[in-house]
Amino acid sequence: MTLEGTRVLVVEDEAIIAMTAEDMLEQIGCTVARVAATFAEAMAAADEGGFDVALLDINLNGTPSHPVAERFLALGTPFVFATGYGSAGRGEEFGDVPLVAKPYRIEALAAAIEAALGSHREYRSG
Amino acid sequence: MPELRSFLSGGGQTAELIRAKNWAATPLGDIRTWPQSLRSALSICLRSAGPSAIFWGDDHLFLYNDAWAAMLGDRHPSSLGLPAREVLSDIWETLGPQFRTVIENAEAVNRVDALLVRNLGGATFDSYWSYSMLPVASEDGTIGGVLAQARNTTEKIMRGRRDALMLRLADRLRLVSDEEELLAAAVELLAGEMDVGRIGYAEANEDKGVISVLHCAVRHGMRDVCGEFPIPKFGDSINDDLHAGRVIRIEDKATDKRLADPKVRWRYDAMGVESALVVPIVSGARCQAMLFAHHNEARIWTAHEEVLLRQATEQIWRELSRVRAETALRGSEERYRRIFEQAHDLILTADLDQIITDINPAVAAAIGAPREEIVGRSIRDFVSEKGFDQTTGMLREKIEHGGTTHHTLDVVARSGRMMQWEINSTLTQDKEGRPIGLHAIARDVTERRRAEERQRLLVNELNHRVKNTLALVQGLALQSFKQGRDLDEARAAFQDRLAALAAAHDMLTRENWEGATLAQLAQEAVGHHNAREERILIRGPDLVLSPKAAVSLVMALHELGTNAAKYGALSAPAGRVTLGWRVAEGERLQLEWRERGGPAVTAPGQRGFGFRMIERALASDLAGSARIAFEPEGLVCGIDAPLAEAAPRAAA
Repeated sequence: MTLEGTRVLVVEDEAIIAMTAEDMLEQIGCTVARVAATFAEAMAAADEGGFDVALLDINLNGTPSHPVAERFLALGTPFVFATGYGSAGRGEEFGDVPLVAKPYRIEALAAAIEAALGSHREYRSG
Repeated sequence: MPELRSFLSGGGQTAELIRAKNWAATPLGDIRTWPQSLRSALSICLRSAGPSAIFWGDDHLFLYNDAWAAMLGDRHPSSLGLPAREVLSDIWETLGPQFRTVIENAEAVNRVDALLVRNLGGATFDSYWSYSMLPVASEDGTIGGVLAQARNTTEKIMRGRRDALMLRLADRLRLVSDEEELLAAAVELLAGEMDVGRIGYAEANEDKGVISVLHCAVRHGMRDVCGEFPIPKFGDSINDDLHAGRVIRIEDKATDKRLADPKVRWRYDAMGVESALVVPIVSGARCQAMLFAHHNEARIWTAHEEVLLRQATEQIWRELSRVRAETALRGSEERYRRIFEQAHDLILTADLDQIITDINPAVAAAIGAPREEIVGRSIRDFVSEKGFDQTTGMLREKIEHGGTTHHTLDVVARSGRMMQWEINSTLTQDKEGRPIGLHAIARDVTERRRAEERQRLLVNELNHRVKNTLALVQGLALQSFKQGRDLDEARAAFQDRLAALAAAHDMLTRENWEGATLAQLAQEAVGHHNAREERILIRGPDLVLSPKAAVSLVMALHELGTNAAKYGALSAPAGRVTLGWRVAEGERLQLEWRERGGPAVTAPGQRGFGFRMIERALASDLAGSARIAFEPEGLVCGIDAPLAEAAPRAAA
């Protein structure tokens, strides 16, 4: 499976980390469709669409990003959680959502995005 | 002589004594000459089952049967045939006139429970008698003698008096709750019954060897002997009697052999005691207490007095134990009440229907309602529905399995505030061990639980921040070591960036992560360029930036300063930088970095990480815009951000 041309929404409040993620995503063939740094921006981006998968920081400037995740679930948008908390911060309702730990490893990031897209496809076809 | 046998036969031992006695020398004359009237009366007398006597002739010579003989004790048989005046000398004053009535008027005299004050062997005592005196006619028609039947009813009368007295004592003592009052009441009541010089109650402590006279009533010139004394030698066997709980009677000190030792007798002299009656109480193989009666004359202690004292001693001892137990209980209740009142722990009791029966002030304070508004209400009123199910379950658990239950319960204060109480509760039982209620000791752990939760969140947050910082460092590394860059240069740039990040964190730590002023941040980021001369002019009002904006700004200014030193205004000796900011209309922060006097400026073909980061990071972290322009006089970086994002405390 290739990620070539996959459009990604990056939801990350820390600009430098966002930039790192962008560089990594581009290295694995993705296109960064949009960067959202705040909760409001992320909610707007989720509704507007124009991307295939989202990389969602679990905490946006001190606010849990769970409502954004719920919106993604509601819209059927595949997404990956990015977190510094470890798996405990994910919350039960998001148990199936792939998790990528900070700091990122490029392979882990690729695998998580593939997993998100893969399970989404299975879900769609199943 | 058949006639003799006929009137004496079947008359018992006394009849034999009468037959054997030589009557010839007495005024009655030879028994064979006794008139028929006497013989007939004596015959009736001797065959009577009860005490019966004949008083015959002018001197009322005394003849009696076996039953009467028993009443006479050691005065039998010497009294046989003596004149009544002699035999009954102590009560002749009463009886003499009655004899005259019977004989002169030929009338019977009947008395029921009549008091006769006896004085025998020097001792005076009351006795009660029911008796009848019947005239016996002689052959000449005159009254030859008196047939008497008598029953000593002293014991019956005394028992009645004792019963009445003990009843009064019981009534009186039952209401008393004070030790002093109890002893006074008891002793005074006894003193009213017994006319003695001194009557009192004492306690003994054989282990300590002391005796304490707690109370005494005195009269006849005797003195009070209240106080504590070493147990003296009371006399041969007397100390043993006390120890064993045997009644001690001293009827006459002068003749009592137990008191023969002068050292012993001296004690009685010192207390003015001529006679004494002491009733000890023994418990646990020790003499515990005694009731004593002392008198300043020799005295025959009656059975009545002894029984009275024995009954009274037991009664006083019992009541005294009760009063003391009550006093101790009051004392201990008061102690526990004080603990209950002052405890910081929450203490409450409830019945088996979970109706609250008592609470301590800590509970009232926690609930935020006065005691009266809590006691009498159900536990249900102070917990959630789920909480009440929980307490009901715990109660059932305790009733079925006993023991103590531990649980955490959500309790609702009157204000609606939720509290968490850690509760230990146990059933209260009656004497038979049946559960009658429950008592609970609780601790409000709301604050502790909250603190624990805060702690947990804080540790989580710390983890997140550390990981975020590592991701940031990762970003800086990846950007600094991009392919194609000179490795030494890249390493230097990376180190500087790390140092700038560390400095920004230091400052925030100093400021308790509450943000730092813009001037402080600027100084931290680019101050080192002003080490020798002021090449960067820093001007602007005091504004406290949020932590996140502060870190971004320090990083951005660091990049600008590094760039200026390498390629811009600070690379030429005359070059200068102006760093200024202001609060513009619409609550906006406007900041400008303007370089001049440096080498000629040309826009770089590809923007390095530094400028990308400035534009991106500042734009995102300050929620505003950042723009870098390469103007002919020098580089200009303008930042425009809403104050609310960058400096929330400065915003209105």
